[in-house]
Amino acid sequence: MRHPSNLRAWLLPVIFLIAACGTSGGTFANVPTGTPAPSASPTATVAATPGPVTLTDDEGTTVVIAEEPQKIVSLTPAATETLFAIGAGDRVVAKVQDITPYPPEADDLPVVATFDGTDVEKIVALEADLVIAGGLGFTKPDVVTQLRGLDIPVVVVYASDLDTALADIELIGQAAWAADEAATLTADMRADLDELAALTTDLPKPRVFYEIDTFNAIYTTPDDFVAAELLRLAGSEPITTDASYVISLEKLVAADPEIILLGDTASGATAELVAARPGWDGMTAVVNGDIFPVDDVVITRPGPRLVDGLRALITAIHPDVVLPAR
Amino acid sequence: MSAAVLRTAAPILADRRRRPIGLAIAGAVALLVVLVLGVAAGSVAVAPGDTLGILLQRILGLPVPTTWTPAAETIVVDLRLPRVLTAMVVGLGLAVAGVTFQGLLRNPLADPYVLGTASGAALGAAIAVILPVRTLVLEFGLLHGLAFLGALGAVFVVYRLSRVSGLSPLTSLLLTGYAVGSLLAAGLAMAMYVSGAGLRQIFAYLLGGFDAASWLRLATAAPLILGASIFIAVRARALNGLLLGEETAAHLGVDVRRERAILLGLGSLVTAAAVAVSGLIGFVGLVVPHVVRLLVGPNARLVLPLSALFGAILMVLADLAARLLGEIPVGVVTAVVGAPFFLVLLRRARAGYEL
Repeated sequence: MRHPSNLRAWLLPVIFLIAACGTSGGTFANVPTGTPAPSASPTATVAATPGPVTLTDDEGTTVVIAEEPQKIVSLTPAATETLFAIGAGDRVVAKVQDITPYPPEADDLPVVATFDGTDVEKIVALEADLVIAGGLGFTKPDVVTQLRGLDIPVVVVYASDLDTALADIELIGQAAWAADEAATLTADMRADLDELAALTTDLPKPRVFYEIDTFNAIYTTPDDFVAAELLRLAGSEPITTDASYVISLEKLVAADPEIILLGDTASGATAELVAARPGWDGMTAVVNGDIFPVDDVVITRPGPRLVDGLRALITAIHPDVVLPAR
Repeated sequence: MSAAVLRTAAPILADRRRRPIGLAIAGAVALLVVLVLGVAAGSVAVAPGDTLGILLQRILGLPVPTTWTPAAETIVVDLRLPRVLTAMVVGLGLAVAGVTFQGLLRNPLADPYVLGTASGAALGAAIAVILPVRTLVLEFGLLHGLAFLGALGAVFVVYRLSRVSGLSPLTSLLLTGYAVGSLLAAGLAMAMYVSGAGLRQIFAYLLGGFDAASWLRLATAAPLILGASIFIAVRARALNGLLLGEETAAHLGVDVRRERAILLGLGSLVTAAAVAVSGLIGFVGLVVPHVVRLLVGPNARLVLPLSALFGAILMVLADLAARLLGEIPVGVVTAVVGAPFFLVLLRRARAGYEL
């Protein structure tokens, strides 16, 4: 540990226990070992070294992080956002390419991974001591194996719904030895999401189609994906699909969306183009002209800005709702 | 250095009887050169002196003073060296398997993948990506395991099915291989269609590459590939016999059915291990044997070892090019480099070139 902080050394185990009692599910089998759980005595004068953090990542792999990571590599855009949001940004040394980069502080970080692959050599050259990788093949499993073979701790995260997204933020927090900040962040996010959701509970629930992409097929959110959950919290009845993300035009026509939200304006989708698509002209949303662009990144990226995503969805679906100030 | 080698090699190469020796010497030197080049190049710059020092110190145990960072040492020893050696072993294996299948099937279009190995491995890998199971044995995941089994399984099925046909054994093998391969390819297409987010992973496997190499993986695959390749080389006489046709082979004392089955099994084993490690890399197994035959004639005793050598060299070079061009798929490089080179050789080939 480069900057030992007495207070933090005492607080960490306590925070871990709090996090372990959190509501977000079973990923927290990690009480730090090596340090006896301290009583709440603030009289510490000797710098107690917290023991290694042992955690279970989203693939069920047990990962041990022996020292406070000082050179963190983030291989998912959500992890990059999370690390900066929990105050660990100054310890991030490299990131995955992000076509909609956030936060601006991360702009100058070297890019060690793209959609095509990960540059393991560069990660080794940066002497990384923690890598946050994406599951479900986002980071190639071979890369994870290779890094672990070189004794670099790798935590694999993948969030499908809101609960796992929040759990991942806490998991990244523990891995980065910033568990208290992460727990505070997720508690705030939960409170904000609840507050926003309460605004729409009594409102009518229009059928909403969220368009992820229409390149060679129509892609929308699966029923258990984070975007579908946000759409429900935003006071709508989302038209969803299965894990393939693909929905047939026939099913979409039959579902008859009352509002169409375009998450693919970056690839050129506009309300006019949607209305001109063959077969789409009979949908209620098209007839009434209720086709709106939304910022897809905050809606689909399982990171700290999901609250912004919910705000954007409520504004689009229920424009009369007055949102609380941020 | 290479100029000097060429000057020495040129007269030897001109003499047809001594040509194989010259080729072997030139090849051995080239192999060493590409080994050093392969280890020296990468996305992180490590000074050539440091690279050499690390190799001398860690591999040969020489007392070289350490002037490099631990990270540089990890990159050279644990990332690049196993990668280059894996490329060598896989290139060697695919070339030997290519010679085997071309001779066995007496077909110039045959390659290691012709009897369904490629489609079998690809389908196995795709199924592994779809299955929500994660295992890791000797750093090999389910993908590598199922790819290996898929390749072997496909050949086994092809071999068994071909035996019940009334056609001549070779025709039957080729046609059955084609049919089973098509069926497996359909399965692969279906698996890719339903794979959702796993599609990228399947695609990466189909394109092949050595970026995931490690010592443990190399230590697991190399004995299989090298061992089976040596067993094939030992049976060069049988392969020569089979090349002459079944009757002649039988007259020469070759147990045709037995030898064919053994060579088929060994060739498939080499191919399966190679594709499990590196994915589907095409062209090396097809072109290298032809190039060697154009240079030294059809004798399998010469073609097998020289193909092994040139397969290894070509694969390391292809991987090097793939890395320098920003980690493009190796299979693309082998085709882009191999095809024009092959065409030039074909143009200059003497009349009467045969398998």
